[in-house]
Order: sequence, then structure tokens, then C-alpha cells
Amino acid sequence: MTLLKKIVDWIDLRIGVREIVRKELTGYLLPRNINAWYSMGSILLVAFALQVLSGILLLIYYVPDADKAFKSVSQIMNEVPFGWLIRMFHAVGSNMMVLALLLHMLSVLLMGSYKRPRELNWLTGFILFSLVQGISLTGYLLPWSQLSFWATTVATNSASAIPLIGPYLVEFLRGGVLVGPPTLGRFFALHVAVIPLLIAALIGAHLFLLKRTGVSTPPFGQPETPIPPPADSYRYEDHPGGIPFFPNYALEDLRSIALYLACFLAVLFFDPYLFFPKDAFIPANPFVTPAHIKPEWYFLANYQTLKLFPNELIGLSLQGAAMTFLALLPFIDRGRQRHPLKRPLFLACFIAGLLLWIGLGIWGHYS
Amino acid sequence: MRYREIIMANFMRLFSLIPLILIALLLTRPGLAQETAEIVCIQCHSGLPEIYSQPIRLWRGSIHAENDIACHDCHGGDPQDAANAMNPQRGFLGVPQEPDIPAFCGRCHVGVMRDYLASAHGLALGRGGPTCVTCHGNHQVLKATLELINEKSCSRCHSYERARTIRAAMQETEGLLVATETRLNDFKKIGSNTEKLEKELFSLRNSFHSLFHNVNLETVNKQAARIQLELKKIQAVLTEWDQAVQRRKIAGALAVSVMLLIALLAHLVRKTYD
Repeated sequence: MTLLKKIVDWIDLRIGVREIVRKELTGYLLPRNINAWYSMGSILLVAFALQVLSGILLLIYYVPDADKAFKSVSQIMNEVPFGWLIRMFHAVGSNMMVLALLLHMLSVLLMGSYKRPRELNWLTGFILFSLVQGISLTGYLLPWSQLSFWATTVATNSASAIPLIGPYLVEFLRGGVLVGPPTLGRFFALHVAVIPLLIAALIGAHLFLLKRTGVSTPPFGQPETPIPPPADSYRYEDHPGGIPFFPNYALEDLRSIALYLACFLAVLFFDPYLFFPKDAFIPANPFVTPAHIKPEWYFLANYQTLKLFPNELIGLSLQGAAMTFLALLPFIDRGRQRHPLKRPLFLACFIAGLLLWIGLGIWGHYS
Repeated sequence: MRYREIIMANFMRLFSLIPLILIALLLTRPGLAQETAEIVCIQCHSGLPEIYSQPIRLWRGSIHAENDIACHDCHGGDPQDAANAMNPQRGFLGVPQEPDIPAFCGRCHVGVMRDYLASAHGLALGRGGPTCVTCHGNHQVLKATLELINEKSCSRCHSYERARTIRAAMQETEGLLVATETRLNDFKKIGSNTEKLEKELFSLRNSFHSLFHNVNLETVNKQAARIQLELKKIQAVLTEWDQAVQRRKIAGALAVSVMLLIALLAHLVRKTYD
């Protein structure tokens, strides 16, 4: 009997660890036609964990004070051992996480996995998407660069378009009439405490819902079977005869995560400034407005949409309506068919929506 | 049915917050960033006949405009009050007389004025010698570079021969200065802390520019050699930074390779479970 076995036996005797492994890993069966897109959730978990880790390391040297923030970031980049790596890891990682999140949502949409009984999974995922956008925006201000300062000025200014409460809301967001030290304090608290906690809670809820509903069967890659009628009571979707999560799908997860990290590290080491315009390394100056302030790539479509409308309120309302529609999609699209090719209207809207988003983004970039 | 209605009502309540959340998230048009209000000098002079509006047009293409040095910074007056913009009691100086030009510019360019006054040009001030604006222009003030020493400009007053020799002696240093500045800017764009080196470069450039008013070839050569030596020290630091960037790329290639290897291994092991 090896030492390891002795330790496992000792733990098993007390908390039944073998039963957990059997139930949650080797005995946890997944659909036989499961595909690589199902790994996006695991990739996102790893990405979020890496962001938390690199964020904590940055907190050691970062100073959330308008007079010192830029200098502290510069110190991290230039003087702290491997500080450049940690800072760029965090900054590039946020962009990669948003990309992975978008791909996750697109695959869920395409495979119709948001449909009954997984409406709550979609909703929690959608809220997570909004929170990730929020954490990205609040993190944008922290380096206190020209880009940070003016992007936040423009972003918070959007709220002024809301009738009646607009000006008050802007002041509330900024902690004053203009973006300044109080804004940095607020955004710092949101970025390092409030939003990460909310994200962690929502991830917990998302995983809980996944655990309760069971993994959805992909609508393709297996012989066609009749669509079962909707259950009128709670039913866990199990997959008898499926593949075990461990080791089979865990290895697929590992492969996907390693591929994601390879792409991430390639950007990090070979083109880390892909997401940084030149104003990102100039200290904030409230008296000098840079010529062209552009948002992050994932906000470019929103940015361009707002530019297209002469009235900012119309642009904002339209985007709010689109987001609300997307969030409530499982309650609107109630058909039971999930195969994208058997949902031509959905597929056409999906492709058109995606092309519109990309098109607006490219337009916004070059406008 | 009632249960579903309650759930839906709760969802709707929750999602009525989305537009509010969106507002905080969306980044919008740069058009909102208003241009700095123009000073009254520009507002008035732009609409006046050519003789009065030309200075505005020339100034827009100057190194002064590039660095936010506006009319009142040289001519004084109140740029916010049209009625008193040209009131001497608000510090308006107007156009200086020719002998007063070096002192006029020298309020900011103290060291340059000193160099000029000590030079052959400065010693001829008031006796037909050139002032600052003779070479640098008065509103379209150009950045001080070696290009200002040229046959067309110098030949207006004297032979170009001596100036040509001095310019040739300084050409190499100028090239080194420009190259160093370009490299420094490249590093600045990627977040490197260039502050210290920029200050050194600024100081060296000032020393170099002070030679522009010197007509002693031996002094020019000696000073240019000293400046080149200092510039090469800055270049050496930049070369070290370049090497660090290369080392990071090698480490990156290794890290990416390890990840690809893990992906391949996971894929192959997974196949064994088929």
C-alpha cells in the first residue's frame, strides 16, 4: 500500500471522497456527441482565475490615487521584477476573456442551448457578460492615462442623455462634475471588490444551474431523434451511455485551455500592444483632449451606433432595447427545435446580427 | 400560469435596469469632447482683412501652436475679454520694435537669447544685424533645426561658406539626436519609463541648439563631439532595452510551445479513450 493510497483512504473514510469522484468525475456522463465549444466555460473559468491572480499581484504596487496611479503603473511596468509581464497579462487577459465570453455566447445561441429548461442559465450568463463589460470599463480608468481619463469622460457623459436624471447620474458616476480623483476611487472599488464578487457569485449560480439542469445535448453530430415534449416537472437531463467527464472530457477541456493559453501567450509576448493605442501610455491631462478617443474593440459597435444617431438618447435606447431583447431571448424564442439549419429565420438573424456587429465595429475603428 | 407570470414580472423588473447598466458601460462619440474655446484674438482677427488675419494662419502652422503657445503668451493682453484684449493695462505689449525683438522672445527663451547676444549676429543688433524673426520667422515660428541654416536664408545677408562648414560639422550630431528621439518615442509608446532619458535628451538638444548661434568652428566641433558622446550613452541604454524585448520574445516562444505541446498531448491521450 503506497503512502498516497493511505492518505486517500484516510480522507475517504471521513468525507467519502471516492464517492464524490465517482459521482462528479468518472460517473458524470456527458453526451457522446459533445463538441469542443462546450469547453468555452472551462476556458472562461481559467481566464477569470488568471485575471484575479494577476489583479491581486498588481494590487501590491498599484496606488489608486490620481496623483500616483500613472506613476505606479509605470513603476510596475519598468521597475518591479516581471511587473511588465503581470500588467500586460492582466490587460491582454481582459481582452482575451471578453473574446472567449463572446464565443461562448455565440456557440450557446447557435446550438439553441439557451432554450427551455435553460432560460436561467442564459440569463445568468448574460448578466455575467454585462458584468465583464463593467469590470473592463472600470479597469480602463485605473492606469490614469490620457486614454483612461478621456474614455471614461466620454463613457460617463453618455448618461447625461437620459431625461431628467441624466446630469445627476453623471455626477453620481463620476463623484463630481468632472472625471477626477473621486471617480478613480469609485471605479477602483467597483473593479477590485464589487464587480469581482458579483462575478464570482454569478459564476456560482451559473454552475449551480448547469448542475441542476444537466449538460445540453448538442443538436448535431448524432442520429436524428424526435424532440421530447417539454417536461411539466423538474427533470435532470442525464446522458446514459455517454462519455465520462473524467478523464475523457477533462482531457478535451485541457486541450482547449492549452490552446487558449497558447493564443493568449502569443499575443502577450509578440504583440502585447495590440489593444493599446498610443494615448494609453501618456499620463492623464484634463486640459488636453486627444484627437481621437476610441473605445475598446468590443465597444466599437456601440460607439458607432451612437454616432449614427443625431440624438444620443435614441442611440442609447436602441442599444438598450437590443440588449434587453437578447437577454430575454429564451422567453421570446420558445420553439423546441435547436438545430440551427432547421431554424432558418433564427440563423438568418444570427448571421445578420453578427455581421452587423462586426461591420459597425470596423466602421467605428476607421471612423 | 400564475407562477410563470410572477417569474416573468421579476425578470422584467430586473431587466428594466439594463439600460441603466448600459449607460455606464457604453463608450460614445468623440464629438462630445468639445474643442477648447478659442481666444478672442483669434475670433476677431480671423474675420479681418488679410494683413490682420494672416498672422493667425501663419501661427497655426508654427511650433508655438503645436505647443499651445497662443497670441497672448507673446503679445500679452486679455484673451478672454474682447473689449480689453488689447488694453495695455491688461498687459498688452503689441508688436515690438526691431531692437526689442530679442528681449521679447527672450522672456521665454532665456538661454537662446544669451547665446544670440553673444554671437556675431547679436553683436550686430541695431546695426543691421538679424534678430530672432529674421531666421525663425515671426508667426510661423519653425522648430529649431539645422534646416534653418541654409544658403537661401544666410545669403540674404552674407556669404554662405562659413555657415555651410558649421552646418556640416553639426549634421552628424543632428542625425544622432533625431534617431535617438525616434527610438525613445517608440519605447514611450509601449509604456517604457523614458522620463529620465527624455530629460537628458532635452538638455543635450538645448546644448546643441545653443551652438546654432555660434560661429566659431572649433567650439562647434568640440561641443558637438561632447554631445555625441552623451547621445551614444542614451543609445546604449536603448539598445539594452531592445535586447530585453528580444529576450521576452524568446521566452514567449518557449511558453507558447509548451502550451501547444500540452494541447497536443491532451489530444493524443484523449484519443486513446475513444
